[in-house]
Amino acid sequence: MATADGHGTATRLHRVPAALRAPLEGRTWREFLYLLLNLPIAIVMFVYAVTMTSLGVGLLVTFLGLPVLAGTLAGARGLGSLERVRARALLGLDVAAPEPLRVRKGGLLGWVGALFKSGVSWRHLLYCVLHFPWAVFAFCVSVVLWVNGWGLLLYPTYQWALERYTDQPGFQLWGDGNGNSFYVDTPFEIAVTSAVGLLIVLGTAWVIRGLAQVDRLLVSGLLGPSRLATRVSELESDRGVVVDTAAADLRRIERNLHDGAQARLVALAMDLGLAKEKLQEDPEAAARMVDEAHGEVKLALQELRDLARGIHPAILTDRGLGPALSALAARCTVPVKATVDLPTRPAPAIEGIAYFTVSELLQNISKHARASRASVDVWRAEGRIMLQVSDDGVGGADTGTGSGLAGLADRLDSVDGILVVESPAGRGTTVTAEVPWRG
Amino acid sequence: MRVVIAEDSVLLREGLTRLLTDRGHDVVAGVGDAEGLIGAIGDMAAKDELPDVVVADVRMPPTHTDEGVRAAVRLRRDHPGLGVLVLSQYVEEQYATELIAGNSRGVGYLLKDRVADVGEFVDAVARVAEGGTALDPEVVAQLLGRSRKQDVLAALTPREGEVLGLMAEGRTNSAIARQLVVSDGAVEKHVSNIFMKLGLSQSDGDHRRVLAVLTYLGS
Repeated sequence: MATADGHGTATRLHRVPAALRAPLEGRTWREFLYLLLNLPIAIVMFVYAVTMTSLGVGLLVTFLGLPVLAGTLAGARGLGSLERVRARALLGLDVAAPEPLRVRKGGLLGWVGALFKSGVSWRHLLYCVLHFPWAVFAFCVSVVLWVNGWGLLLYPTYQWALERYTDQPGFQLWGDGNGNSFYVDTPFEIAVTSAVGLLIVLGTAWVIRGLAQVDRLLVSGLLGPSRLATRVSELESDRGVVVDTAAADLRRIERNLHDGAQARLVALAMDLGLAKEKLQEDPEAAARMVDEAHGEVKLALQELRDLARGIHPAILTDRGLGPALSALAARCTVPVKATVDLPTRPAPAIEGIAYFTVSELLQNISKHARASRASVDVWRAEGRIMLQVSDDGVGGADTGTGSGLAGLADRLDSVDGILVVESPAGRGTTVTAEVPWRG
Repeated sequence: MRVVIAEDSVLLREGLTRLLTDRGHDVVAGVGDAEGLIGAIGDMAAKDELPDVVVADVRMPPTHTDEGVRAAVRLRRDHPGLGVLVLSQYVEEQYATELIAGNSRGVGYLLKDRVADVGEFVDAVARVAEGGTALDPEVVAQLLGRSRKQDVLAALTPREGEVLGLMAEGRTNSAIARQLVVSDGAVEKHVSNIFMKLGLSQSDGDHRRVLAVLTYLGS
């Protein structure tokens, strides 16, 4: 029942058109407050920027000029961060902090140099200056319209006070000073006034939104991180994924060595040691132990071979993707048709990524898909290498965080690749990956 | 028999030499790279003293990729009577196909691990020296696994499947009989059943039989 009620309320709310709701919405009032605060803050910022810049430029002939200008820039950055907080609180605008100052050399000089070289600092100073005329304009427009609108709309509620406490029966619309004047005092006139007020209020709500939108652009354009910086931070997180993957791979290799070949070699050494002791007194038992040791060493060899193939298959280096993928397909538990159509061999790194992507997808098919056949296709399309692995299994592949496919997508993302999974329950799975081509 | 060994790891080269000498074979040369191998065989051919078989590693200097396979292919082309056995840390069906290339006479391709079973390994070397075939079970498994004729292969009984695998490895009927601990007659019956089910004509020579099976699996 609660659900049904909640649903009903929501529907009722939406019956009021957006145009009529706007003046009463919290968002409009928060934006109005933002525009209101604009004026005092803009004045402070403008005065600060102009005074300090003039002072710094004036002092340039002395050794104080540069530090003062640098201080001005640093201050502008500080003001900018306050502005971002204000925009987040009142405009709901989430602008990330710009790239931090990169001070390469220690001491005052390094700091001054870094401030002058960073575009962010200058953009913040520009904001302090440019914001002022805009803030004045937006303040005037919004305050005049908003106050007058509400004043007229609410006229019926206070008209009686004018009549009782002043010598006028209402607002005077015009008067020639000779006793001929027009007062808004009849019920009809009052109603018309209120209606005009209502129209102004309705319109102003949208004007406020428009003005706030300009402020949003100013804040995100001048106080946010630059596009280059955004890309850099993206690459930094990609590098993180690569480093993490590499570390995880090393851990996996260490664990496999430790649990597999290493353990077998220990057992082998033990068997041989025992056999050596028994050689004289019980040659038959010794022969049995040597036989066991022989078995252990063959298993250890096999494990080492599988492990080395998992690190980097020799055939991939020697012959490229086509033969390597068809060898991979031959080892899959379901019949796999592998088709590789590439004009030339891509860079070794790309070959490796393509190989291990297909390898993981085929492993998924072996483990989860319950498929009767699968296919692998690799081709090149306009500067990208495309991989597609399909099966006719149960579908419904898990792509949620923490799943193997999500990890694969992360790793592909770190080389600017994309992974698309199409897996309707009961109708097979098709995974398509693309990676930028490097020859 | 007279053997030439090409293997860049001194440890393994010495080991192979000791193993073959121990069994009464004659290791006439040991080299460390593909160029040395081709040079040595060239010299011997000039003196008309070609060895019976060459045992070569796949990975050798300078690039440590597939020099051994390429040298083997070239030796087989230049000296048709020479047996070539290629050893590798990994076996890939692709390399086997390149090595055989329409002629399964005197060719072998084995995992290095097989050296551990000394008897079988020396048998394989001897088989290749005599013009037979020695393919690693893992290569055969790959061929069987990726053959497009899965439905026909599924029609074989498990025992016939085993016999087909051993046949593709290059073993003779009597070797198969020994391995499976059955009589020669029983193997012959399995073999003729396999050839009938696969629609192949019964061929007499062991190496031609291998080729027929490989062609069938690869097509």
